[in-house]
Formats: sequence, structure tokens, C-alpha cells
Amino acid sequence: MQESVITYNAFHHVAWGTPISIYFWLVGASAGSFVISSFGWVFGIKRYKPLALTASAQAIILLMIVPVLLIWDLGKPVRFIYLMLPGYWHSTGPMAWGTVLIFSYPISMIIYTIFVLKNNQIWAKAFGIVAIVLALSTHWYTGVVMELNPGRYMNHTALAPILFLTGAFISGIGLLILILWVQNMFVEAKKRIDWSLIEEMAQYMMYGIVFDCFLLFLEFMQTLYGNRSEILSHELLMGVFRFPYLWLEIIMGLLIPLFILVSPLKKERYGVILASFLVAIGVYGMRVWWVMGGQYMQSFY
Amino acid sequence: MTDTQSGDNPLSKKRHGYGIQTPGTRGVPGTKRYAMAIDLRKCIGCMSCVVACKSEFGTPLGVWRTWVKVADKGVYPNTRRVFMPRLCNHCDYPICVRNCPTQATFRHKDGFVLQRYNRCIGCRTCVVACPYNARHLVPAKRTDKNLPHLVVDKCTFCIHRVKRGVLPACVQACVGGARIFGDLNDPASEVSKIVSKERVTVLKPELGTSPSVFYIGGDWEIMDEPHSYENRSNQLKEEFNDFKRNHEGDAFGDIVEGESTMYHVAKNMTDFIASIPHKASDVLSAFKRLFFE
Repeated sequence: MQESVITYNAFHHVAWGTPISIYFWLVGASAGSFVISSFGWVFGIKRYKPLALTASAQAIILLMIVPVLLIWDLGKPVRFIYLMLPGYWHSTGPMAWGTVLIFSYPISMIIYTIFVLKNNQIWAKAFGIVAIVLALSTHWYTGVVMELNPGRYMNHTALAPILFLTGAFISGIGLLILILWVQNMFVEAKKRIDWSLIEEMAQYMMYGIVFDCFLLFLEFMQTLYGNRSEILSHELLMGVFRFPYLWLEIIMGLLIPLFILVSPLKKERYGVILASFLVAIGVYGMRVWWVMGGQYMQSFY
Repeated sequence: MTDTQSGDNPLSKKRHGYGIQTPGTRGVPGTKRYAMAIDLRKCIGCMSCVVACKSEFGTPLGVWRTWVKVADKGVYPNTRRVFMPRLCNHCDYPICVRNCPTQATFRHKDGFVLQRYNRCIGCRTCVVACPYNARHLVPAKRTDKNLPHLVVDKCTFCIHRVKRGVLPACVQACVGGARIFGDLNDPASEVSKIVSKERVTVLKPELGTSPSVFYIGGDWEIMDEPHSYENRSNQLKEEFNDFKRNHEGDAFGDIVEGESTMYHVAKNMTDFIASIPHKASDVLSAFKRLFFE
């Protein structure tokens, strides 16, 4: 039997587009680099203390862009204040909780950074613990806000927050390595971050990539099992999301960096830099297809 | 009426709401639940309902509160054209209400799912949450500047008419009498009788939203979402691409099939940056519009 031909329909816009996917990437990279920043002051790994300031500064700067991007993306930007007013705040809306997190996370992070600057171990640790919980929650929420859309079956998976957090971890480290590399070029020799530390971070990044690959494998296993899910993977792999999904995320963002980081290239400085760069932009590919894919696929419905 | 007939799940037995959502009123004595039955055997695809709705609310170009999907199936001479009027399903358990961060959308006790424009911030969470694509963001440019813009809008089941004892605009305009509207909890109402007697179905029953729009004589090929590349007709793809290329509001992320995603990401970002007011007069007018209109 020939397929039915839809001759007329109303077309639906993809409601969340580029600004939202950039926002997800920024929050992720911020949370990832803050995790590294907390290694020295919160988890007591002393060799990570020298890079804590750079890492938390990166986390703060990335997060400063977020409210501007999000508020401008609103239909009524000035009304963003409603998200924080008790008479408006809606406890069952994931975005209402996200607002609380997005505003409390940078505050705790700034206080932590001030105590790091003052070299106050006790208070830096106390606020570091609060900030690390908020950092993880802020990015966890971005996964949740996509997950709690039962109608968008592509996004409606409990895997979403974990996938987002793993992406955050690796993209945060990737971006931090690039920034530390640039920083090392401009500071005097004794203030430079030891390259062995960066190599160690690259090692963590590799573990993150392996875990991300495992999560993607789980997703593939489900999507290649037939029915609607198979159509989904077909659409993603062969359709308009081929570039962000297949090329940007899987090949450039995961497989090539993984190859570099398990091969002798990891000993080469430029190997690590290239892997970090590819991971940082590869995770953006994941954000693009994850945000727009679920909506796009139903834009004809 | 049994749950199987209506496509409901046991969730509809629960008599509680989520957040500001009023509990589902289906079959609860002393309550109302307005519902619509659409007899697809009578629908001739004249689009009167679409036009009536557009003129009732002055809905701008490019967005719809109700629309009719048309599909041709089969091979000549065994063919048939099928129609599928679509609108907000006014669910008993609406996901959009649960997801709204500012309580802008709510479920009325009589079954209407409504939008409060003065509360809506235009975050479009409800648009993403709605499984039926029944919500849209009203474009900034409207003929009548006093009407809401850049907030989310949707079908209201014409509550302003129903509360005055008049049928919704689409129901009144339907030439074939395909749309039947009334209180489902009133056994004497036409809609209640039809939903009880006929074989009705709802859209996406598996989600447990308990919709208030029932279809009679639905065709699976048009009721199911065209989610695969193969099932999308070339003509529709072309129309879709034209629509995406020409409509305003690229900043919200529209993708045209067959063109590079990177190009569109770059283009969307350029549009997004260009849409930021940069002249003093633009900033002032944007400020004025946001605060005083």
C-alpha cells in the first residue's frame, strides 16, 4: 500500500532553538569547570589548588552570559522577575526550580571564589560544598527540563540528566584545558600550571568520554530495537541532525578525542589541546540535537 | 462510558490536581466538563472552522488555534482524502499546566485549559510540553496592537461564548455539523450521548492526559504523527521549508530540511543578535512596549 500523502497541514515552530542550546552548553561547561575548581579546596587534592581560581573564574564568566541569553529569549524579557515572585512561582514547573538554581549557583560560587582569594580554607570548603551541589543541580535541571516533556518522546528519558551531566563534565574540562594552555603562555614561568596536571585532567576527560559513549550505547541499543525509536535514530543519523549528532557529537566530540587520549598522542601537548577543543565543541552538537530534535520531529504533527 | 472507550487510563480515577491544576472533573457529579466530539465522517475539509476561529480571535498569520490536516491515501482508483481538525485537547491532566513556571496557564474547573496573558513570560515551556502542538507564541507584529503579543496563546474552547450560552465559533461555523460541543458530565447533552454511543478515540491516549476532544471515524494514517522521513510527502516538505524560510522569528530556531544545520545555526544567531535593539529609539520603544502595552 502506498503511504498516505499529507497535502495540507499547519506547521509548528521549533519553540526552543539556538539560544537555548547555547545556554545548555554554557551551563554545562560552567558546572564542569567548577567541579575541577573544587578538587583542591573542597575535596582536598592539594595539587589542584593553583588552578582553582582560573576554573571558578571560567565558571562564573560562562554563567554570567546565561541570564542575558535566557532573558532575551523570553517573549516578555522584563517579566523574568515573575519567575522569582512567590505569587507566580509554580512548584511543579521544572523551570521555576531552574530559576532558583541559576540565581543561587553563581552567588555561592562568587562567595567561594572570594574565600579562595583570601586563602580561607574553612569557609572556602563550606561554600565550595554548597556551590558544587548547586553546580551539579543546575546542570541536572537542564536535563530534567527536557526530560519532563512526555509528549516529546525523544527527550522523555531518565537518561537525559545523566547524559547532560557527563557532557558538562567533559566539556568543562575541555574548555578549562584550553584556557589554562592560553594562560600558561602569558604568565611568568613560576605561575604556570604544571602540564602533568593538565594531562591528569585530560585523563579524567577520557573517563568521562568513555562513560558518555556508554550512555550513547544504551541509547542506541534502545533506538535500534525497532518501532518509533528506530525511526528516531534514522531521523537523527540521516536527517537534518546528521551534522550535530553524527559528525559533531559522536565523531568529532567523542571518537576522535577518545582515540587521541588512548593513543601515544596523549603525551603530545597538541594532542591534548586538540582533544579538548573537539570535546568542547562536540558537546555543543549534543545540545543542538537534544534541544531541537524532539520538537523538530513533531513539527508536522 | 467506560475508560476503554474514551482512551483514558486509570489516572483519570484520581481526583487530585498537580500544583494549580484543578482535579479532573470527568464523571464527577455536580461538576462540568466541556468537551468536543468531531465526527470525521461528516468533515468535508472546507476550513470554515479555521476561518471562523481566525476571525473570532484575530489570530496572526503563521499560527493557528485550530487547523485541519488533510491527507490523501491509497492509489487510484482506490483513494480517499481524509481530514483531521485539530485544536487544544483541553486535557483533564494537562502537561502544559504542570510545566508552566509562572502559573500562567491553568485548568478551569469546567474543563477549559486557559492562558493568562498578563502572567505569561513567553518562555514557551508549555509549547514544548504540549504533546498535541496546540500552543503557539503570538508574533510581535499584530494588526491590532492592543491584542497580546509575544506571549503563548491557545484555543480556549471559546469560553467567552460558552459562558454566554453560545457555541464555540468553530462549532457554529461547521457546515457539516461535524463538531459537537457540550458538557460531557450532563447525560442529556448531545456530546455526552455521542461519546457514549459511538466508537470514539482520542489523540495519544497512551500519555494519560485524558483529552476532551473525541474523534469519530478517525484514520490512523492521519491521526498518527508523521514521524519518519519516508512518511513526509515531498510537497509538504517543500511547503514546510518555504514556510520556515519566509516566516519571521528565526531566532527561535527553525531548521530547513536539506540545508546545512551549521548555516542555520549561524543564521539564527545572526538574527538573534540583530533582533537586539541597538538604536536609542528602538530601545525606548521596546521599553515602552514591554512596560506600558
